[in-house]
Amino acid sequence: MQRHPREGWKAARQIMEARTGRRVSRRDFLRTSAGAGIALPSLAAIMAACTNPRETGAEGSGAAAIGNATPDNPRTLPVVGEPIADGLESEKGATLQIYNWDAYMWRKVIEEFCAEEDCDYEWTTFNNMEEAVTKIQSGQFNFDVFFPTYDVLGKLVVGEFLRPLNKSYIPNLSNVWEEMQSPFYDVGSQYSVPYVVYSTGISYRRDIISDEEIHNADNPRAMLWDPQYNGKVGVYDSSRDTIAFALQYLGIDDINTEDEAELQKASDALQELSDLVNARVSINGSYARLPKGDFTLHESWSGDINAGWGYVPEYTQENFETLGYWYDGTGPVDNDLITVGAKGENPVLAHKFLNFFLDYQHAMDNYSWNGYQPPQTQADIDSLTKTEGRYSAEAKWAPPVTYVPEWMPDAVVQREWFGSDAVRLLELTPEGDEKWNAVWEEFNAG
Amino acid sequence: MERRVGGVQRRVSDAAAPISEPSRRERRRTERDLQRSQGAWYPRWFWPTFAIPGIGWLLLFFVLPFYTIIAVAFGTIDLFRKPVPIWQPWYWTVKYFGDVGTTLFGDNAYLQPTVLRTFVYVGLASAICLVAGYAVAYYTARYAGKYRTLILIALISPFWISYLMRMVAWQNLLAGDGYVNVILQKLQVISDPYPWLEGKSATVILGLVYGYIPYMILPLFGFLDRIQTSLLEAGRDLGASPGRTFWRVTLPLSKPAIYAGLVIVSLPMFGDYYTNNLLSTSPRTSMIGNIIDSTVRESPRGSVLVLMLMVLLIVPMLYYLRSTINAQESR
Repeated sequence: MQRHPREGWKAARQIMEARTGRRVSRRDFLRTSAGAGIALPSLAAIMAACTNPRETGAEGSGAAAIGNATPDNPRTLPVVGEPIADGLESEKGATLQIYNWDAYMWRKVIEEFCAEEDCDYEWTTFNNMEEAVTKIQSGQFNFDVFFPTYDVLGKLVVGEFLRPLNKSYIPNLSNVWEEMQSPFYDVGSQYSVPYVVYSTGISYRRDIISDEEIHNADNPRAMLWDPQYNGKVGVYDSSRDTIAFALQYLGIDDINTEDEAELQKASDALQELSDLVNARVSINGSYARLPKGDFTLHESWSGDINAGWGYVPEYTQENFETLGYWYDGTGPVDNDLITVGAKGENPVLAHKFLNFFLDYQHAMDNYSWNGYQPPQTQADIDSLTKTEGRYSAEAKWAPPVTYVPEWMPDAVVQREWFGSDAVRLLELTPEGDEKWNAVWEEFNAG
Repeated sequence: MERRVGGVQRRVSDAAAPISEPSRRERRRTERDLQRSQGAWYPRWFWPTFAIPGIGWLLLFFVLPFYTIIAVAFGTIDLFRKPVPIWQPWYWTVKYFGDVGTTLFGDNAYLQPTVLRTFVYVGLASAICLVAGYAVAYYTARYAGKYRTLILIALISPFWISYLMRMVAWQNLLAGDGYVNVILQKLQVISDPYPWLEGKSATVILGLVYGYIPYMILPLFGFLDRIQTSLLEAGRDLGASPGRTFWRVTLPLSKPAIYAGLVIVSLPMFGDYYTNNLLSTSPRTSMIGNIIDSTVRESPRGSVLVLMLMVLLIVPMLYYLRSTINAQESR
């Protein structure tokens, strides 16, 4: 029996009950599905552990509860829990708990929000989504706002970790691209608002590789496999992104494939990447280390290299112009989201935070610092390479930089890439996930 | 009559023995009186209670986490496909042991090179630690004279800064234009900067040596410092050259410290992943610790690897314990 998780935890419970032939309480469900994690569970969870979790975990039918949303098969998430009432005042003197990636939001803009709302904020970071989800699952951390990727959104809803949004507090949602106002992974934006958009291409050193060379190459991705760049090639420490990159290098366009033969080819290509150029794997290689000269070529998110100018050894125009980015519309495009925590103490403030960052000017100010483009309708995409952002304007110690440096126009994210035929990394089936993990583990084992 | 009183055997003359068999209470009182006459008296439970904090600590911070690792290794995954412990052994599965087994011994045994590499790295790094560490410890113990305290402080001082920070410092030192390359170029050892940070095995091994060598030097120093000079003098008096005295007297005497040092440095090296993460990040230099680090949140396989590594390391540990006990007995 296949059911989609977005039918709610009750649906998942029905599956478990059908399978185990006994009644499953919500507590059982959460304990076996999300409440334990690898961290030491609470004593109550240990005491409650009296049934076989294998029957209700992902190895059992519980896994079937997590399905898949795609651009051509959008899904509506179930409303689990109560949204806040209309017209409430912000919590006064509160401390907003923000759970986010490191270096992903300009603190100055957050401080402006706090000044407006008379609140304080606490900034907690995670290094990857696995780490973030593990901490949230432990139930020990009650965040107000969280920045998940869309592949974990459905599970967070089923686990009742997110609060349904009351959109009367978020009128600025209408500022974003229309297709983002009701995205395929959360039709009607019931739980999330879009934060930023980005593409995945290649960042390179323009003092070593010319723009023409990479743009005229038959297969620019193949340059990462070129032995002349031995020791100077980097890929992300992200299995989905990097395996997809290898698939596209091989000319396999389905970047969500679960086909054994195709994945084996990707695995061989990654082994070859180690053999030929001894590629290094990191998460900060593109934005922090390529500008320092540690890498010549790096798989790159557009936002990373866009913020790279802040990491050059000396802030000179010459150094800024050593950074380049290639993307041709064939690689993956993605967006990140902001959500509100189910157990956060400041839900009204959290809603206002979402609204604040969907405001055109605040979104653009933040963009000028972190390099990740907000999907704002008002933003004239053609002028992004000509307009100086606020951060650059305030950074008197550095030469002026436009939102996107004019010599890397590929780093501008185009709206048309997010249509129904968008190339996106989608959630895999549990079996597919295991296959991808195996490929990644093999690559990492060297 | 021979009676055991408070763990001490004591002979009580027959004449002093009461005519009738004393009651248990009387016997206890006699024992207590005897102990009191020897000094302070404590009830039997008194001394064992001193072990409670230690046992509590072990239970809380070793047994429970260790059981969690076992429960995860034999456990399952949840809806988020994250590892979940199963606390009841009767529900355990060996599925993930099988999975790890195939990656170690199957057709596609891709973990084999990592395991082999780990042994080579740890072996080489431990050997360098021993040779370099022995020289330093020997000099400090025998010839440092008034500089001995200074050298000891210098040896301990790296501990004041966290291992992580020291490795980050090495990133700058080993960079293309870092001091290491500048000095080596000035000394004309190399003509072009050496790409230390581009995924080189040598960098990882030297990083391990740097990180762990103090743990080798300190036990060696402690032991070498205690070797009586009269034994060395005896060796010399009997006609042995300085080299032979070292080989036949000093080295055999310092064997327990060598074992201790090797165990102390190699055990954490086997689980190390930071050195590689900070000085290389290439899959071609990854060690078992890196595989555990990248798998542990993804699958129970990470915990299985932890257990397998532990079992593997118990062997040298037992050998070390045996040789320590033998050394104590032979003394």
